[in-house]
Parts: sequence; C-alpha cells; structure tokens
Amino acid sequence: MKKFLALLLTLALMAGVIPFAAAEASNLEPVELTIMFHGSNVTDDTAVLAKVNEYLKDKINATLKVIWGTWGDFDETSTMSLNAGDPIDMYFTCSWSQDEYNAYAKKGMWVRLDDPNNNLIEKYAKDLWATLPEVLTQGATIQGSDGLGVYAVPGYKDIATQNRWDVNVTLLEKYGYTLDDVKNANYFTFGDILKTVKAGEGDSFYPLLVEGMVLERMATNSIIVAGDSGSTNLLSYYLNPTDVSAPGAYGNVLLNKFTTDEYKAFVEKTREYYQAGYIDPGLAVADTANDLRKNKQLTGQYLIGTQSYSLGYELQASQERNLHVEMVPCTPAYVDTTSSQGAMVAISTASANPERAMMFLNLLNTDPYLMTLLNYGVEGIHYTLTADGLVQFTDKRADYQPWTNGMGNVTILPATVDQGKGFWDSFKAYYGEAKKIPIIGFTFDPSNVQVEQSALVNVAAEYALALDTGAVDPAEKLPEFLQKLNDAGMQAYLEEANAQLTAFLAAK
Amino acid sequence: MLLHQQPTKRRNLRLNTISLPTETLFHAILMLFSLFCIVPFLFVVIISFTSEDSIRQIGYAFVPQSWSVQAYQYVFKLGDVLWRSYFNSFYITIIGTALSVLMTLLYAYPLFRKDFRQRHFFNFLSFFTMIFGGGLVPTYIICKNVLGLSENYAALIVPMLFSPFNVIIMRTFLQTSVPTELIEAATIDGSGEYNTLLKVVLPIVKPGVATIALLNALAYWNEWFLALLYIRQNTEVIPLQYLLMKMQRNADFIAKNSHLLGADAANVAVNLPSQSLKMALVVLIVVPIACAYPFFQRFVVAGLTIGSVKG
Amino acid sequence: MSVINPRRPAVAASLMGSQRKKALLLCSMAAPGALWLLLLRYLPMFGIVLAFKDYRAYKPNTFWNNILQSEWVGFKNFAFLFKSPDTGVMIRNTLLYNLTFIILGLVIAVAFAIMLSELTRRFAAKTYQTLMFFPYFLSWVVASYFLLAFLDQTSGMIPNLQRLSGQTAIDWYQSPEYWPGILIGANLWKNLGYSTVLYLAAITGIDRTQYEAAAVDGATKWQQIRHVTLPNLRTMIIILFILNVGKIFNADFGLFYNVPLNSGSLYSTTQVIDTYVYRAYMNSGSVGMSSAAGLLQNAVGFVCILATNTIVRRVDPESSLF
Repeated sequence: MKKFLALLLTLALMAGVIPFAAAEASNLEPVELTIMFHGSNVTDDTAVLAKVNEYLKDKINATLKVIWGTWGDFDETSTMSLNAGDPIDMYFTCSWSQDEYNAYAKKGMWVRLDDPNNNLIEKYAKDLWATLPEVLTQGATIQGSDGLGVYAVPGYKDIATQNRWDVNVTLLEKYGYTLDDVKNANYFTFGDILKTVKAGEGDSFYPLLVEGMVLERMATNSIIVAGDSGSTNLLSYYLNPTDVSAPGAYGNVLLNKFTTDEYKAFVEKTREYYQAGYIDPGLAVADTANDLRKNKQLTGQYLIGTQSYSLGYELQASQERNLHVEMVPCTPAYVDTTSSQGAMVAISTASANPERAMMFLNLLNTDPYLMTLLNYGVEGIHYTLTADGLVQFTDKRADYQPWTNGMGNVTILPATVDQGKGFWDSFKAYYGEAKKIPIIGFTFDPSNVQVEQSALVNVAAEYALALDTGAVDPAEKLPEFLQKLNDAGMQAYLEEANAQLTAFLAAK
Repeated sequence: MLLHQQPTKRRNLRLNTISLPTETLFHAILMLFSLFCIVPFLFVVIISFTSEDSIRQIGYAFVPQSWSVQAYQYVFKLGDVLWRSYFNSFYITIIGTALSVLMTLLYAYPLFRKDFRQRHFFNFLSFFTMIFGGGLVPTYIICKNVLGLSENYAALIVPMLFSPFNVIIMRTFLQTSVPTELIEAATIDGSGEYNTLLKVVLPIVKPGVATIALLNALAYWNEWFLALLYIRQNTEVIPLQYLLMKMQRNADFIAKNSHLLGADAANVAVNLPSQSLKMALVVLIVVPIACAYPFFQRFVVAGLTIGSVKG
Repeated sequence: MSVINPRRPAVAASLMGSQRKKALLLCSMAAPGALWLLLLRYLPMFGIVLAFKDYRAYKPNTFWNNILQSEWVGFKNFAFLFKSPDTGVMIRNTLLYNLTFIILGLVIAVAFAIMLSELTRRFAAKTYQTLMFFPYFLSWVVASYFLLAFLDQTSGMIPNLQRLSGQTAIDWYQSPEYWPGILIGANLWKNLGYSTVLYLAAITGIDRTQYEAAAVDGATKWQQIRHVTLPNLRTMIIILFILNVGKIFNADFGLFYNVPLNSGSLYSTTQVIDTYVYRAYMNSGSVGMSSAAGLLQNAVGFVCILATNTIVRRVDPESSLF
C-alpha cells in the first residue's frame, strides 16, 4: 500500500512539474531589451527587427530595441549613457574603445556574469559558454568591481593577431623580383628592392606605404600590452619570432619600447628610407596618414605596406585594388589579451533585466537563425542564398550594414560568396593553431599612474609617429624624446606595469 | 549710411564723406581680405566637383586631374534622407532663432533699464552661468530625464534658446543706441513697459536685433552636437550638419584606430563616403545660410533716432 | 528716475504703485530667460562635484546614488594638468595665443567696421561683409584641407614653388616655428567677419546728428572717427574685451587640433590646454579628469573677468559688465 501511494505521489508530482517546465517561457513577463552596438551603418532596421521580435517573443518573451552606434559616435554616446545611467541593457565593449572593458568593469558598470551568488552564465548561458574557445573564456576573466570574474560575453571572431607585409606582387614582378625575394628578406634588407622600384617608377612614387605604429612593431617583434594607452603605446612586450609561446628576447618583462636597441636600429633605418624617398611625408602626419594610405592602396601606388591581417584578406584586397596582392607573414600569428578582448557584449548594472539579457545573449551566440537575421538581415530582402547555401547580398544591404564582427559568435553565420564554402572550418583551424603568448590574460591597470599616463601619452604623440616614419632625424630627436619621457614619469609607469605583471604571472 | 545720402553718381556732391584715395585704399584692403575669405570656399566647391580618382592620385588640388558630378549624384540619390534633414535644419533654425531672439530681447531690456532695481540680480544670474557650468553629463541627465528633451525637435531647440553672451551684447546695443530720455518720455506719455519696448525701443535697436538674430541663426544652423547626444533613434529629426559630421567622425575614428581594428578597418574604410561627397555636403550646408545673410543685412541700417528727442 | 514728491501724497501713492507695477512687468520680461537659466544651467550645477570625486557605479546603479557614494578625492583629478613636462608649454601657448587673438582681433575688426561704414558704394560694402562671413560657416576640418593643399610636402603649392625656384622645400607639418604665424592668420580669417559685424551694427546705431555737429564744427573725417565713432564704440569694445578675457584659458579646439593635422612634431607651438586634455582623456575616459580641466579653465577665466571688470568699473562705469 505504502509503495503504491509513493508511486502515485511521484507520478502526481511529475505530472505537476512537466507542464510547469514547459510553461516557463510563457510565465516570463514581456520585457523590452535595449542593446547598443558599435560600427553600424544602418538606416532601416524595421524589417529585421520585426522578424527578430517575432522570434524572441516565442523564445524568451522579449522585444529588442537596437541603438546602432556608428564608428564616430559610439565612444562618446556610450560613455555618456553609461555615466548618466541610461536604461540600456547591453553594450558593446572591448579593450580598445572608450568604454574599455577592464576600466568599466572596475568602475562597476558591468554585471559580473559568473558571480557566485548569481551565476548568470551557469543559469542561462551554458550553451554559449561551451562553444567558446578557452582562450576567450580565459581572456574575459579579469579583476572587476565584484572580484575576479567574467564581466562580458566575448565575441568569437578572429582571435589571433598577425601583422603581415602587404605586397603589390604585380608591381614586384614588373621589376623581375618574385615573392620569395620578399619572403627571404626582412625590413632591414628591403633596401635593394625598394631602390630598384623607386628608380623605375619615378620621384613621386613612394614604395613603402606604412602605418608608423604597425611598422615599428613588425620590425622589432614587439606587441601592444593590453591596458596600455590605446592611441600611442608606451609599453612593449618582445616576442620570440619563431615560437611565440616561448619567452621572447627579454623574457617576461615589459619595456619602455623606445629605449631598446631594436627601436634605435629601426628608426635609423627608417630615416634612411625616408631620406631616400621611399616613404611618403604625408604618412608622418597623424590626420592625413590613413586617407593617404587608402588612396595609394586603391590606385596601386605602393610596393610594400603593413597590414594587420585577418584570414582571407589578400583575396579581398586583390579584388578591390585590381592587383595581385599577397600578404607575407612577419611573425607567426599569436593570441594575446587584446585579441581575445577584441569584441564583447556586456550587461550594464543599470539594466532592469539582466537575466533576460543573458538569455538573449545566449540565444544570439548559439542560434544561427537569430545571428544571421541580426547580422545579415532578412533572407530575400537583404540577401539571397545560392545553391551552395552561400550568402549573396542584395542592394538592400546598403540600408542595413551592422559591423559583423562586433555582434558575437560570427562562426555560426553562413559563409558569404566572397568567403567561399568551408570558410568557417579553415577559420577555426587557422585561429585554433595560433599560439598564446606567455603573458596572455594580463591587462595592465593604469589607475595608479593616470597622471603619468596623461603626460606620457602627449609626449609620445609628439615624437613617436614622426620617428616611426623617418620624418625627423633620430640622432637629434630620439635622445630628446627619451629625456622627455623620463621627465613625464616613464620610470614610475614602467615599474607599476612590471610589478603588476610579476604578480599576475606568480598567481597563474 | 549717412543721413543725407544721395545716389552714388556724384560722390563729391555729398557732404562729409572720405576722400577718394582713402576710399580706394579701403576698397583694396577689404577686397583682399574678402578674397582671402572666399577662396577656401571656392576650393571646397572645386573638390566637390573633383573625381574620386583625381583625389586618390594627387590629393586635393585647385586644378584636378578630372572633374566629375559623382558626389552630387550620390547626394541626390540619398533622396528622402537628405531632403528630410534639409527641412529639419530649416525648421530648427527658423523656430529656434525666432524664439531665442525674443527671449534675449526680453531679458536684455530690463537689464538695460537703470531704474529697474532688480537688474543686478538678473545680470549676475545670467553672467554666472557663463563662468561655471555643471558639465556635460549632468546637463544631459537633466535635459533627458527631467525635461524630456530626447528624440524630438525640442531637444535640438531648447538647449540653445538662451545665451548669456548674446544677452550682454543686446544690452550693450540698447545702451549705446537708446537714450534714457526716450524711455522717460514714453512713460510720461502713459506707455506700458511692453508697449515701450515694442513701439519705441525696437525700431531704434533693429540693427542690434538683426545682428543677434543672425548670430543665433548661424549657431542653430551649424549645430550638430545636440543631435549626437539626444537623437539616437528618431532619424526623422536629424539636421543636415549632423549627417555630414557623422561621415566625418566615422572617417576620423577609422583613421585613428586602424592599427587596432586591423583588417576590419580596411574593410570599412573602403566603404566610407568619398572626400568629394563630404565637400558636396559642405557646399549644400553653406549655401542656404550664406543666402540668408543678405536677408539680415537689410535690417542693419541706421535707425531713426534723430528728431525723436527734442525739446 | 522718478522723484516722489512727499507733499503730494496721492500722486506719491500712485507713483509707488506704478513703481511696483513697473518692477513686476520688467520682471515678467526677464522671467522666461530666468526660468531657462534655472532649469538648464543651475540645476545641473551640482555636477561640479564630479571634478572632486572618483566617479564610479555603485549598487543600485543610478546617477544620484553613484555621485553620493563616489569617493571624494579632493584635487587629485587636477594633478594631471600640472605634472607634465608639457604644462609650461601648453599654458604659455594658450595665454599668448589668446592675448594675440584678442588684441589683434579687436584692432582689425574695429578698423574694418569703420572702413565698411565709410564706404560710399553700399553694394560693395555689403558684398565685402557677406564674403567676410564665409569662413565662419566652414569648419576647421575643411579649413585644414585648404591649408593642406598649400603646404603638403608632395603636392602642395608652396613646396612645389620652392622646389621650382631651387630652394629645399620646407616640411611644414614637421616644423613648429612657422605655426604661430599660420595659426594667428587662420584665427583672424575665421573670426574677423563675426566681430566686424558686431562693431558695424554698433556703429550703425550711432546718432547721425553727432557726426553732423562735428562736421559743422569743422572736424575732418579722421577727427570725426576719433571723437564720435570711437567713443560711441567704447562700450562695445570694452564689453567684448572683458568677455574674451574671461576665456583666456580656453582655446578653440578645432584650430589647434585640426589645422595642424594633429601632427606630433608641432606640439611645441600648437599644444594648448584643450588639446592636451583631449589627448589625455581619450585614453582614460575619466569623467573626473575632464570635469576638473573644465572647472579650472572656468575658474581662471572668472578671476580674470573679475579683475578686468573691477579696473573698468573704476575708469568707465558705463562699460562694465556688472
């Protein structure tokens, strides 16, 4: 009898629980979520949002409102909204924008997603967390206002950095060289090739089309340190050029990049190139440099340039410029903190519905339908699918162009016709191979040296670009520069950074 | 401008004018400076008609390699967005200028009246805000949350309605052109304050009012920062200057951060609007306000003070 | 200036009543402006505390709660302005440029205004006025492109001319010594039209009979200008001067940032307080630091205005600001 009653009881309980579980979605109150993206170029989102909201209503009973921040406005408007406590639930964040991930986590603006008292990831985003590679989940774990934890959902996009030489092969071959000649040379031995081409093309042709900051890193094998000033880097970490996961030339120490021998050799060589007429003077002036580079690239008026690489870019470049473009690696691809924090979405502590926001982010990053909808638009309106299942954009795409990499897990998107079939497989393979540098996960926190940083940034902005492009004489300007850096507090800055790094490595 | 002005034919007949050599010198100096002022604008017009190819090859130049109307074609293709923002700019400027001139005049008049006992208080009230301000974030919060200035025309008009600088200028105009005897005469004649202001003072101080109106109109026409702050979603109310500024700022951001964005930057850079397009927009923005200038100039003519205060 | 005759109580009473009525009416005129000031300027003034706090978010995250709970740090946010090897340079640049702008701007604008008012060909005068205003419509970014067309190393007009005539082309954007001249010229270019219009409007308001009387007395044109025009302009000149002095610690950001194309090598002659703060702020995003900088600029400006105004009040009370 007791056994029978127990069975009856259990059955009754189960009967009660099951419909309860199924009704959970509809037990949720309707809620409006607002998200703010970066780099958007969207003028008409009505069709897309209509479909999105239809879908979300079913799944999590929420409607989505999107603020399409543009490249030029996002920094200003997002920091304004965050400081003013506007009712926006989710924001794009990363380690290089003004609403910088680490800084704002410390300021208490982001919800800690793996808070032991309320672990949103455990509760609502297990699927999402499982799809992310370890380097991203590790990279997102930082020191914030609520302790060491995750304060934003990292976006799975290109996660490794690699700087390559952008080579105009068409022009190269015109003068009888092959790509191998470039591959076998390095920055310091490019001189002969540059000389020949310059002589042939004439006085107004500048073969070396470089971005000062990137060039310096490529020639000296140094990388940016996360948390350092974004506009002009002061600190460097030197890589091991053959195996990036091994300690570099100076070991696990951060250096004032401008005092090293590498830097000195680099600026002297660059000055030589500048005076020989290989580098356009316009590249030494901050405001005009980028437009100039773009113009020269599109008209094919360059021989070797610098390019921060992402998979498949040379094909795209070749198409745009009507040339044969190849990208020659300088060092192997590496994963560092900056690349692992390149694009993230955080939930604001001012949000009224952090749980629902987490549910939304989980859905967005794991559901191909939703991600494709929000990223590419509506099938039939903004794009069509070819027989192979590749995405072909229509004219309407011009009205709806979000920044693809800024939304989240882009690997669940269908490949486009430009990317080709099997793109995401080669993507995951290429980036999966990239090795992590020894100091990965470290982010410098400059809050104790902000005064020094303000002064240092201005000093660096005064000298760095001109030295990096050879526009001024290093014999005169480099000592001046170094002296001024010291006066501005470089020693204190460096010591603080290294102290933090040592503590970080010890704790690992 | 002199009272006994005759048609310009026989200038020697006119009394009290400057000598011919002096006038020629003045013309030379002013002409030179005016050229200096207008040539950059002509340069902008030239760029707007330059082909993108020429810009890529040789940069900005007075004589491009090749001409093209591509920029304007693109602008007209923008269609509704463009005309809407043009309309918005006009709407905001006209309403904003009318309201702000009214507010400025109404505030400056009591300040000018020496017999108004509270004028020092109001003077300081206005002046103090020129020196100290709460800053951007608190102003943003008050405007958005307390005053409801968000995603609407009001957000683009109200924050600029009052300028302590203009009030001081207006007060100075009143001080230098309106004799106090005139006010007294009007009061004795039984005129109320508003009546005195409108019927007696306003005709005299027309040049001043017209000048303030011009400065306000310019300020409203050129304004884009308010749109950046307060208009995130409602694209119906965006003025033309903001459209242009958006393009400019996008390009600047990409330029500054390209070494951090990597290949993404290159992708975006290719799709940014061309330089000639931006210049075309500048032309479209400058031409209407330049045409409005002569309109205001008409009022900057000598008033009719003489003869009104005699005996 | 009504005098109340105590021997006529009835009249006195009605005069008192009309005094009050006048005060009320005049107050009502100032009311809309006063309301605007209270809501949009005085209400947000509590934000000044941001300069003295380390602003961050607390739980619950609302602006009021955050401000209340944020740590008070005194003058720490101001430190970044003074602890830099660039501090002397940027302050020197800001002050010198502003002084030059004020003085040159004043003298030339008044001269132009007088010139324009004396021209007999009205159409020409109006044309000059309109043309002189054009620079005010163009942004500094656009102006910088124009300058680039002249100064660019490769395709600019001036370096090309220099090369043609056999000299070595000056690398303009890497040579700071030329920029004070260039920037002063640029500032005059942009702002002269604006100031000239103000002075011209003031001249138009001058009572014509004064000129006639002087002419009848045998004064030449120049004497008329010295004894009629200038004295009447005195108030406007002084007021504008005081107002400009109040902004002596502020600089036109676009002029000093965009026109030199943000070229680092030019900092020694183009770095001013506003550009320094912008470059520092870009990296820290600290609300406190930028509030502090603004507050400091305002405070210095206020002291300068007070000083100047006091001097003016002694000499010429009519023309003082308050």
